[in-house]
Amino acid sequence: MESGADILYRNIVEEGRVRMPLDTMDRTRVKDGIARARAAVAEGDVPAALAILRATIGAETDFLDQLRAARLTSGIDGAAHGLRPLRLAIAGATTLDHLIPPLQLWLTLAGFAPAIHLAPFDTATASILDPGSELHAFRPDLVWLFTTHRDHDLALAPGATPDAVRAAVSRAVAARVALWDALRARGCLVMENNAPVPADDAAGNLSGAASWGGRTALRLLNAELAFAAPSGVVLFDLDHVAARHGRRAWHDPRYWFHSKHAVAPDATGVLAHAAARLIAGARGLARKCLVLDLDNTLWGGVIGDDGLAGIALGSGAAGEAFVAFQAHVKALKDRGIILAACSKNEPETAALPFRDHPDTVLRLEDFAVFRAGWGNKADAVRDIATTLDIGLDALVFIDDNPMERDIVRQHLPDVAVPEMPEDPAHYIAALEAGAWFEATGFNAEDAARTRLYAENAQRAEHRASFVDMQGYLASLEMVATTGGADAFHLPRIAQLIGKSNQFHLTGTRPTEAEIAALARDPAWTVLHIRLRDRFGDNGLIAALLLHQQGPDLLVHTWAMSCRVLARGMEEFTANLILRDARRRGCTRILGRFVPSAKNQLVAGLYSRLGFTLAGEEQGASLFAAPADRDPWPTMVHHDA
Amino acid sequence: MPDRAAILERLTTVFREVFEDDALTIEDATTADDIDEWDSLQHIVLVLAVEREFKVRLNPAEVGKLENVGAMADLLAARAA
Repeated sequence: MESGADILYRNIVEEGRVRMPLDTMDRTRVKDGIARARAAVAEGDVPAALAILRATIGAETDFLDQLRAARLTSGIDGAAHGLRPLRLAIAGATTLDHLIPPLQLWLTLAGFAPAIHLAPFDTATASILDPGSELHAFRPDLVWLFTTHRDHDLALAPGATPDAVRAAVSRAVAARVALWDALRARGCLVMENNAPVPADDAAGNLSGAASWGGRTALRLLNAELAFAAPSGVVLFDLDHVAARHGRRAWHDPRYWFHSKHAVAPDATGVLAHAAARLIAGARGLARKCLVLDLDNTLWGGVIGDDGLAGIALGSGAAGEAFVAFQAHVKALKDRGIILAACSKNEPETAALPFRDHPDTVLRLEDFAVFRAGWGNKADAVRDIATTLDIGLDALVFIDDNPMERDIVRQHLPDVAVPEMPEDPAHYIAALEAGAWFEATGFNAEDAARTRLYAENAQRAEHRASFVDMQGYLASLEMVATTGGADAFHLPRIAQLIGKSNQFHLTGTRPTEAEIAALARDPAWTVLHIRLRDRFGDNGLIAALLLHQQGPDLLVHTWAMSCRVLARGMEEFTANLILRDARRRGCTRILGRFVPSAKNQLVAGLYSRLGFTLAGEEQGASLFAAPADRDPWPTMVHHDA
Repeated sequence: MPDRAAILERLTTVFREVFEDDALTIEDATTADDIDEWDSLQHIVLVLAVEREFKVRLNPAEVGKLENVGAMADLLAARAA
């Protein structure tokens, strides 16, 4: 009997140029999912509706079905449901109108309440350079420059010299950098996609084999863009997305000639999905932690029944597939994704393969949290989030068992729970299809993230050995270093402010360029704090934007890593603010609290620090403390 | 030759879905001017939906030149199995 995937594959082959997902089982599942999501919205249960859509539609779902889902999400008041506002402007030289509904859909599913402005057809450069343009009047948080190979002047005669090719590419890159700089000067975060390589070229093989070929030049350009993009510019590897989808299906000449669509209507959902996931990464809404089932997920078989010698891991096709999946998971960990295990097993049995199996890639120490037991998995997953002090919307849960997936989806709608295929050979593709973990940069803290979280677990154990809090804090031997927005810390400050949800008093999301501008403004102070203790280096843990307003110093932005909560860092930070207030001759510190769906944790922070309520405005509370007050007591030493 | 009335019935279903109007009726003489939402954007969505329903490949430019719904039904009658 033919499986759904076989039917899909046959259709792809038969259709050839235009890929239509005609798998009726999949269509039925999608239609059913949209209907259930619609019912959930009607009942007012938006989180459930979004969870159903996340579980039933994907990047490759039929474009018309994505439009149906988009109609549903466009009717949701995202901001009222705690979704994060995002103002996105798109400028391109081709027709992008059909991109807007699926982009709105995927941004909503990523956790945004999006407002999207599309610059009028073919006005990209004018929209960017004219300060009075509609694009700038829209006041976007993020500007996406949508480009194709046609936007780059790379005309080269057959046989052009290597120097001529390099010069043409350099000119093309410089033209893009000039536009980026114009936008960054206005404080915009910029996203630009590289150029999908066209499917056909008159030079045939030479197009990519000769140094003067069109594909050679375009590939060189795409690579040079990666070198040229500064950290305030998010480069979107669209050439890869197009290639993975299939170049002949990516561009449909019927729609290019008819209406200047650079991307085939049927590929528009793929484009929207990839863009939305990257924007999620750029704005701090990428997932952070991968929660993994063990039996039949990280090896074949059941360790409790089959034993160490009986599970499929390493030898044989199935065993190789599990090794490959483990290696993929390990690579995710190495770039900063936190791993957690969640298994129905005796703890000792579950740990056995990671300790003793000769072919295991993952080791026990790769997991920041290891939960094995017999309780229900929704509770275990919730416990993992609590232990790590991260939101449920930071988790992706992988389990081969559809029942477990359903339970987690129903009880924890914010957790992403991708469908998994029967065949472990496709596990990597199934996990990657969601693009859950897109990031826009990589730093030393990303590399050490699991260690950072594991060290925190050690601190928790250490803490249990103390009866008094002061003794515990003193024993941590905490030393903080502070500084401003230097070239090294500026992107990290922007990243911390962009990613923090729980310990973020005001929910402000300034871009890197905006923070750089504030750092140059004498009325503003930009500060960062790093913390190390006896268990290790916590890295950058807090960022502050302070604004002098006459006799007042306003705490415009205070974002802190939840890892260091309740260890005296709040008091230490307050002392830094106090010091800056006195340096400036201010008489009062003003702190604002703007409640969001996630920052209840710090609702009482200013009161706890002895600030008094000084007023309320539009849901925000204003707190004040005199600048001549005593510094706050703290066990954190300042290594200035 | 497929039944033309049946084609018009299937087209009605497609139109109702695309234009989000369960009461929408179409006839041979219906044109884009008769349906407010039938703009250049929805034209493309309509072509895609017709392609799926009738399992044919259409060119949006070619469909755009058709005089009315009747001409579309004739085209589909000639092409569809």
